[in-house]
Parts: sequence; structure tokens; C-alpha cells
Amino acid sequence: MYKGIEASRGIGIGSICLIVDHDLTFETKHIDDTDAEKTRFNSAIDKFKAETAEMAENIRKNIGPKEAEIMEGHLAMIADPTMAGEMTKMIEAGQCAEAAVTAVCDMFIGMFSKMEDDMMRQRASDISDIKISLLKILLGVEDVDISKVAPGTILVAHDLTPSMTSQIVKDNVVGIITEVGGKTSHSAILARALEIPAVLSVPGITEIVHDKDTAIVDGTEGDVYINPDGEVVSKYVIKREEFIRAQAELKNFVGKESVTADGKPVELFCNIGTPKDAKKAIECDGEGIGLFRSEFLFMDKPHLPTEDEQFAAYKEAVDIMGGKTVIIRTLDIGGDKDIPYLELEKEENPFLGYRAVRYCLANRDMYKIQLRGILRASAFGKVKIMVPLVTCVEEVREVKALVEECKKELSAEGIAFDDAIEVGCMVETAAASLIADLLAQEADFFSIGTNDLTQYTMSVDRGNAKVAYLYSAFQPAVLRSIKNIIAAGNAAGIPVGMCGEAAADPLMIPLLISFGLDEYSVNPVLVLTARCIISKWTKEEADALAEKVLSLSTEAEIVAALKEAAK
Amino acid sequence: MVSQKVTVTNEQGMHMRPATVFSAAVTPFDAEVKILFNGNAYDGKSVMMLMAACIKCGAEIEIQCDGADEEAALAKAVELVESGLGD
Repeated sequence: MYKGIEASRGIGIGSICLIVDHDLTFETKHIDDTDAEKTRFNSAIDKFKAETAEMAENIRKNIGPKEAEIMEGHLAMIADPTMAGEMTKMIEAGQCAEAAVTAVCDMFIGMFSKMEDDMMRQRASDISDIKISLLKILLGVEDVDISKVAPGTILVAHDLTPSMTSQIVKDNVVGIITEVGGKTSHSAILARALEIPAVLSVPGITEIVHDKDTAIVDGTEGDVYINPDGEVVSKYVIKREEFIRAQAELKNFVGKESVTADGKPVELFCNIGTPKDAKKAIECDGEGIGLFRSEFLFMDKPHLPTEDEQFAAYKEAVDIMGGKTVIIRTLDIGGDKDIPYLELEKEENPFLGYRAVRYCLANRDMYKIQLRGILRASAFGKVKIMVPLVTCVEEVREVKALVEECKKELSAEGIAFDDAIEVGCMVETAAASLIADLLAQEADFFSIGTNDLTQYTMSVDRGNAKVAYLYSAFQPAVLRSIKNIIAAGNAAGIPVGMCGEAAADPLMIPLLISFGLDEYSVNPVLVLTARCIISKWTKEEADALAEKVLSLSTEAEIVAALKEAAK
Repeated sequence: MVSQKVTVTNEQGMHMRPATVFSAAVTPFDAEVKILFNGNAYDGKSVMMLMAACIKCGAEIEIQCDGADEEAALAKAVELVESGLGD
């Protein structure tokens, strides 16, 4: 087995077509008839433009306009006066066309590959692609016609250029393996858009394989098998069927409402860590943000973020979500999350110590900067404030008082904000769970953080392998706690969400439906999975299962019962 | 010759698309259009040179136009940069 970077999910089993890099060496010679050479060069440029425009059109039709921009970029670059123009000048001075193309392209490749910026470095590979295409035309080298490969082909190449990718016929190519490239390279983006399994950066793969070898490409795990034995093949045939079936099922849920089998709507939100992740949430069909962790703002810099920096980051996420709910969790540091410049003292028991809302309420000036940043962003969409690690009623009251204080200041300064902004709390400690009814009188919403709730309820450090067996949200104690929190929220008429990993767990979802959870907040990639599971259960079925499960006394029995009932 | 200083405000700076928008807009003018940045002069009609200048968001650049229609070229260039280069 060979390992590479998993760039496009799925399983491909097929016969290899090895794309060999052509020899593009040429003899540099002095040109006397520069006019003839210019004519040869210009017709190469015209051919390049025509081919590139055709590829762009192909990609636009078969994949999408955004992907076609790569080829359109090549057209814009070659049309640039400094590209073809400089090349022409060199030819006029007596250079051959091949040398002129190489010199000008290499100069730009050198310039762009040195830049710090990732997107700019990508331009270097664009120019390299242009150079190769032009040299092939000038030297009369013909490529393998990828558009004509047989069905069931796995393409193996040193690198898959956009020009190659544009010729791929989706029905014939079942997998892609290359020696270079990462998850964000053109070839990866195009492979994903075409839904062809791809593993990139497999060292030396073009030296290992031959045409017509059988290969398996596991683009989910990043594994490649060459000439595998029958046992491996049959294992992967099954894996492939499972993957295809699951994908087809999930696709039916794109753009659908999140409803239970008996038609009760729920909200399906996403957990994100940076404003950019909000784009992912939208792409994955998330209906809002249920947990926007604000720590990144504090960890990325050597100093505290200013109010403007925070406002800009929150607003960016709010803008991307376009009016959908964004729940921002205020700073949750301490415990295992340290921020060097705050110089927090080392503690014996950091998870029971000076962290999250405790730290924030002791450092009000700092906390108010964050609250003001969030309030200002609330003028641009539906924003909610979420307070982590609440253990008593006073904490919620104090945060709300601070929010009011910030609102007064902003009003006096004439700065806009949402006056009706909701302030809710994370329910993730045993204390908060036990007084959920009291907290529900103070908070505008609840969000259950199952990771911490499990840790605190079970008194178990999940990082300690010796006790990790106790760390399960399916422990009877944790399930009772979750049930209690949701019931208290429902009774007080406030919405209850869950933003821990359990919210997307197919075994947990029926229980949450039974308990009456209003909002599920999950990793963006799990939105469709969660929506699919939610759609399978009626309240009545979920209630029957929950009743049975809550009568069981061990975690093992509970998990077994849930697995047996799983749909 | 006329010139004016402006601040680049679009988020991505002078990347492929903004550079394409800029060069396409100033190319029709007869005047020579130069971007002065970081002590260098870059041809404003060249996408490649504009990208190579590595101009980031927040950078202050000077646009210099020289030729018969320099006033109009400068006005157009400044307006484009200030409006965020189509981003």
C-alpha cells in the first residue's frame, strides 16, 4: 500500500493510464529570419489561446464557472503585454521562440514562487502550466488524449495540470493519483468538483506503476494499492458500494428542511472556529452557526485583539451567513487552552480553576471589549451571545449586566447594535445541569456542550488513557443530565441546542428527538448526515427507544440497545 | 504627468482578479499608467506586473499617468482602486 494526501473522497478501482511527462528539451539557436520565427511564435500563441478557451468552456459546462476561472486566468496572463510582448522582443533580438517562452516564464515563476502568499505561489504553477503548453505546441508534441481513455481508468501522473483535468470525462475516469499537489491545489479542487476519488503526493508513483496495472484509489483515507490481491479488491468493492450508497442518500438532503419523520422541524447549525469556516457552513448547507469559538482571535496574535479586530471578524461571519443565526461563544480560555501573553498561573487543577466566564468576569475591561465587538456585529445580522462554563445564576446576571453597560456606551457613542440581542449559556457543568430550571429563568437560550458535560459529570479527564473508558456521553448519568437540561429549557420556553460532538452522533440523535432538543450544532461536514438521521425518527419511536434506554443501568447495555435500534 | 496616492482597500489586495480588472480598465487609455509602490514602478497595464508588485490590502500606492489623456486615466484608476477593484 502507498500513502498520499486524500484530496477527493471515494473509492476508485480500475486500470491505470500512466501519463508520462514529455521531453521538452530543445536546442537553443540563433535566429536570422526573425520574421518567420515571429510568425511561428504567433501561431503557437493563437493555438494556445484557442485550446485554452475551449478548455475553459468545457470546464464551465461540465464542472462550473468558478473552476473555469483557472483557465481564464491563463488567457489573461498570456494576453498580458509583459508575457507575449516580452517574448516577441526576445525573438526580434534573435532568440528562438522556445528559448523566449522559457526565459520569460521562468522569470515570472521565480518571482511568484518566492512570494509569501499561498495564492500568489499558485500563480507560479499556472505560469509553469502555460510554459509547458506553449513548448508542446512549438515542439509539436502530442499529449495522451485524456478525453478518449477507456471506462474504468485510473489516471497516474506526476502532476495533473488544469489543462489535463479539463479533458477528463467523468464517466470514464474512476480515480486519480499524482506525485505532487495538496488538498488546495487545482487538481484537488477539480477532482472534488468532478467527484473523482483522488490521492495526491504519492512519492515516486509514476516510477512504480505501468500502463494497465490494476489500482485501488481510496480518496477518503489517502491509500493507494497497485495490483492488489483478490481479497483486498473484494474488500474495496464493498467499501465502494457503501460509499456510493451513503453519498446518494445524503444528496437527497441538500437544501431540504431538517424535520423528524413526523414533521417536527428542528434547527441544524454548525460549529466553526474562524470566520472563513462560515463559508464551509454555507457550502455544507448549515442553517446557522450554533457555536462560533472566539479563541482563534486571541490565539493568533501576540497581544489582545482590539475591539475593531474582533468586530471585523464577527461581522465577517455574520455577513457570510446572510441573516442566519450566529451564536458567538465568548472567550473560553484556561483549562487546556492557554494564551501565553495573558500569563495565566499554572494550576493544580486547571479544569476546575480560573477559566472561561470566571476569568472574563474577573477581567471586565477585557471582556467588555469582546462584548462590544459582538454587539457591533449584531447590527448586521442575527447574533447571539453565549457564555461558557456557567455554574451559578450570578454569572449569567453579571454578564447580562455587562452587556447592558456596553449597550449604553454604544448608544451614547451613536454606534448601532441589536438591542434585542439574546444572551444564553452553555450548560456543560454538573452544577448548571442541576440548576437548569433556575438558569432557564435568566438565560435566553441553552446550549449543551456534551464534551465538557461528560467530563465534569463523570469526573474523568478524557486526555488520560487509563480512565478514558469512562468518557462516554452514553453513560446513564450523562443521559439523565442531558434529559434534565432539555426539559428545564422546554418548560421555561427557551430554545435548547447542543454543540458537542454528540449532536451529530447517529446513536444519540433519537434520544435528543425524544428529549425535545430544538437545535443541533455540528461540524459542517456532518450537516447532511445529521439531517438524514433526524428525518428517520418519529417522536413516538424515539420516545419508546428513550424509555427503554433510560431503564438500562450500564453504558454498554445502552450503546448495544441504541445500535440495535439504529436506522 | 499627473499622479495621486490611494489606499488599496479590497480584501485580497492586487490578486489575479483585481489586477485583471485594473489593467483592463486602464489599457484603453493612451497615457502610460504606472503604479509606484515600495520604491518600484510597475506597469499598470500589465496583470503580471501588478501581481508581481505584491500589493496587499491597506497598502498605499501612487498612481502616475503620463500622456494625452492622463487626467481621465488617473481619474478612472483612482476610482477603481477606491471602489475596491470589483471585489
